[in-house]
Amino acid sequence: MIARGDLRRHIVETATIGACFSLVFLAAAESAAAETRGYVISMVHTATYADSDHCPMGGNGGPVELRTRRLIGAGYSESEAREIMLNDGRDDEGNRVEEMQLFGSFLRQTWGGLEVNPGNVPYLLPDPHIETAEGRFAPGFNLDGRVDPDDFEDPDTNEKGIDNELWRVIGCFDTFHVRKPVRAYNENITWDAVLDGMPAWLISVSGEDLSRDGDVTVTFDRALNVALRDASGGFLSGATYTIDSDPRSHSVFAGRIDNQILTIEPGDFSMQGESQFYAILRLTQTHLRLQMRLDGSVIGFLGGYQPWADYYHWLAIRGEVDGQIDLPGVYYAMKRLADGVPDPATGENTAISATYWLEAVPAFHTDVSGGVVGVAVGPGPKFSGPAVSEVETQAGQTEAPQ
Amino acid sequence: MTTDSAAANRTATPAGRCPSRRLSIRWTVPLLLLGFLFVPPSASPEPNTARDLSFVRLTESQYRRAIHDIFGESIRVDDSAVDRGARESGLLAIGARKLTLSATELERSETLAQRIAEQVLHPRRRATLIPCIPNDARMPDDECASQFVTRVGLFLFRRPLNFDEIRSYVSMANAATRTLDDFYAGLHASLVGMLVAPDFLFRFERAEADPDRSGRMRLDAYSRATRLSFFLWDSPPDAELIEAARSGTLLSPAGLNRQVERLLNSLRLENGLRAFFSDMLGFDEFATLTIDSGLYPKFTKNVEDDAREQTLRTIVDQLLHKNRDYRELLVTRETFLTPSLAAIYGVPLARSQEMGGAVPWVPYRFADDDPRAGLLTHVSFLSLHSHPGTSSPTLRGQAVRENFLCQIVPPPPGDVDFSFVQDTNNPDFKTVRQRLSAHRENPTCAGCHNLTDPIGLTLEVFDTAGGYRTTENGALIDPSGEFNGKSYEEITGLVEILRQEPTATSCLINRAFSYGAARTPTTDERVWLEDLAAELRREGLEWRELMRRITRQPDFYTLGTDA
Repeated sequence: MIARGDLRRHIVETATIGACFSLVFLAAAESAAAETRGYVISMVHTATYADSDHCPMGGNGGPVELRTRRLIGAGYSESEAREIMLNDGRDDEGNRVEEMQLFGSFLRQTWGGLEVNPGNVPYLLPDPHIETAEGRFAPGFNLDGRVDPDDFEDPDTNEKGIDNELWRVIGCFDTFHVRKPVRAYNENITWDAVLDGMPAWLISVSGEDLSRDGDVTVTFDRALNVALRDASGGFLSGATYTIDSDPRSHSVFAGRIDNQILTIEPGDFSMQGESQFYAILRLTQTHLRLQMRLDGSVIGFLGGYQPWADYYHWLAIRGEVDGQIDLPGVYYAMKRLADGVPDPATGENTAISATYWLEAVPAFHTDVSGGVVGVAVGPGPKFSGPAVSEVETQAGQTEAPQ
Repeated sequence: MTTDSAAANRTATPAGRCPSRRLSIRWTVPLLLLGFLFVPPSASPEPNTARDLSFVRLTESQYRRAIHDIFGESIRVDDSAVDRGARESGLLAIGARKLTLSATELERSETLAQRIAEQVLHPRRRATLIPCIPNDARMPDDECASQFVTRVGLFLFRRPLNFDEIRSYVSMANAATRTLDDFYAGLHASLVGMLVAPDFLFRFERAEADPDRSGRMRLDAYSRATRLSFFLWDSPPDAELIEAARSGTLLSPAGLNRQVERLLNSLRLENGLRAFFSDMLGFDEFATLTIDSGLYPKFTKNVEDDAREQTLRTIVDQLLHKNRDYRELLVTRETFLTPSLAAIYGVPLARSQEMGGAVPWVPYRFADDDPRAGLLTHVSFLSLHSHPGTSSPTLRGQAVRENFLCQIVPPPPGDVDFSFVQDTNNPDFKTVRQRLSAHRENPTCAGCHNLTDPIGLTLEVFDTAGGYRTTENGALIDPSGEFNGKSYEEITGLVEILRQEPTATSCLINRAFSYGAARTPTTDERVWLEDLAAELRREGLEWRELMRRITRQPDFYTLGTDA
């Protein structure tokens, strides 16, 4: 592992010279000197892998089904509930049905005669027993080192024992029942909306020669700057970001490159965001698998055990209407399926195995004094970020942009 | 002074009705016509031949600066009153002497004038911009209207208004005041009239016999002040310059020198420098520039704006702040970058925490072994002289020849088949150098392409958006070439040769004179300009010195028709 200070001295001396050639991919460069490549994360979202056998009961549907269930729960028959839904939330006398009113971004619910916000107090409401995802495949990592009967298999690597209970919780809601290149609708637009105001998330990879197999150091940091967009609305490759020295968003991992696949030794990950959905991303037993592409970008998966309350709060802040999700149902399912980091006192698991899709484009990194500590290598992809999805399928075909 | 006009139709609006404080179109149009038709165009004796009268249309920036100089920066000038015009002999400034005002432009000018007048006469600005208070704000006030017209007219027309002009504009104001029962609505009408008057929209240049040069003509004092001011500041003359014209001191060598030095030492000299180089470098073309964002996603609208500003900022820094020789612009590695531009240049640029703030400009120096050196390697030049989806050695070579060397590259014949050159997928001709080499085998094409392509092919290491590259379609780009018998290996060699090229010096000096005079130099003037070029090549081509030499030269203050 190369100390950041030593690396910086080297980079400062050579970056200006090297930078002008940075658009030329340096994979073939013969160099014994250490290098650090910088990236800015251009897309992050919950990894999904919807398949025909994932939700044998038909799934939890979307906003229409959620509202219909709420009406049934309020005492309407199924046929009455469907009629109300078809009648724009009005009963056969034309009156607005109370259960169809919104409470902020939530469907109106009451508890003990009081109107309550299901996002804030899901535990006061009954468990609707949402359908959870089944099936063979889910993207992710084997976090516990075991291959259990109900574990998934990774569709890309075919690794068995994949722990991804988060997918199991959310996978049968319409909004998440997608697979790449389609992204979960709300996460895509949320990322698009927040990135102009949220400090960018950075990755740097340091090693002796990143064009070859070998040990590396992988560091995640938050930037002091927001992301810069390109003409397509995606992320501008080759932009410069200043690293925020705040240790709360600084995670360092020992890693390795093999055949242009970057992985890390498990450790703790923490990244603060400034958005409603990505308020903070914390993982333990963090795993990473990124493909280093010829254009200089990286794509792949980041996973680990995530405090399930963190994820629940992301969903709850967005609400049931915007989020198109049943919050009490998710709450109870998360508690039930949480599989990591047991509370020492109660023994109850506080974290859930989770996997995120991650894309990053080349970027220069500087420290707060302006010294270059990471170099952008490669031209970057033609399209990046939330504007356009261009990911490779299992068969290696490039999907058309969405 | 009584200036009631029979043209004012008092019976058209019932007494006491004032439907709007804003002058209605119903009244504006006839009043404007009144202004156009009846306001005498000049305070001077009636010159009426091409030998002693000429006029040059204001550019957009000159119009804007005029309004801001006279009424303050807070006056918004949203739209352009004038089209950008036609380029002639390499400059829009020369084309501006041959421009008239189309009906559409006149209509646009009138709309813009209305908006400006509304702001100028807004109640919160009256104390500052109106020199007097009327006795009755609902009645005409000859004295106050006259003061306003006289003061504003002096700066708008860049000369004092004569008695008839003042009377006409005051009559216009009075007529509108009576119609609308509002003194300020009356001033509004007269101000709009002045803003659409030819005397404002055009720089009238009047010549008179030169008492110091028998048989020669010279610009009169106000025309001299106007030419000098627009040349050095891109602005109309200020009060001191107008006073120098009024007193006649501007016509004496000592008085002229005093004013020239004052203008050269003003911060506003930057405006003139920017305007000149924007014209010389053809930056008006940015208005129609299209770069395929699918192929070059880094080239955003911000980059387009920043690219132009980068070049102008570099020029200002080199020529004004550092007093560098003009020729240094062709090779300097010093510049300024924004984060978006730095991404195209492929260099790191530490940026401050600009969350929500203005885009920061950061001084930057490209490394000594970096291929970026001089204006030709700026994104502005490279993108402006490219096709939307491909670079163009021909366009770039042509631009170097025409913009920096003042040479003329003829347009291609109408029947040329470009399909071979444009076929970027031809596996046997991967680089444009290969394709153009084949194209030049056609003798009809070879003449011009031999002029443009060697320069442009060296610039092929920069793509359409200005990004650096070493290959095209997987084949290595060969940037070597030869210019005027001198061979070089790469772009830095070419720009160094151009820096030493005498024609580059002559071209700048010729362009500067032509820009200031808004005409090409006469034969005699060309001789003088070449002598000046020879001198400055030896002494150093500093911008202020060049301006000083040109503006002290009597020939600069002629219409160029008496040689």
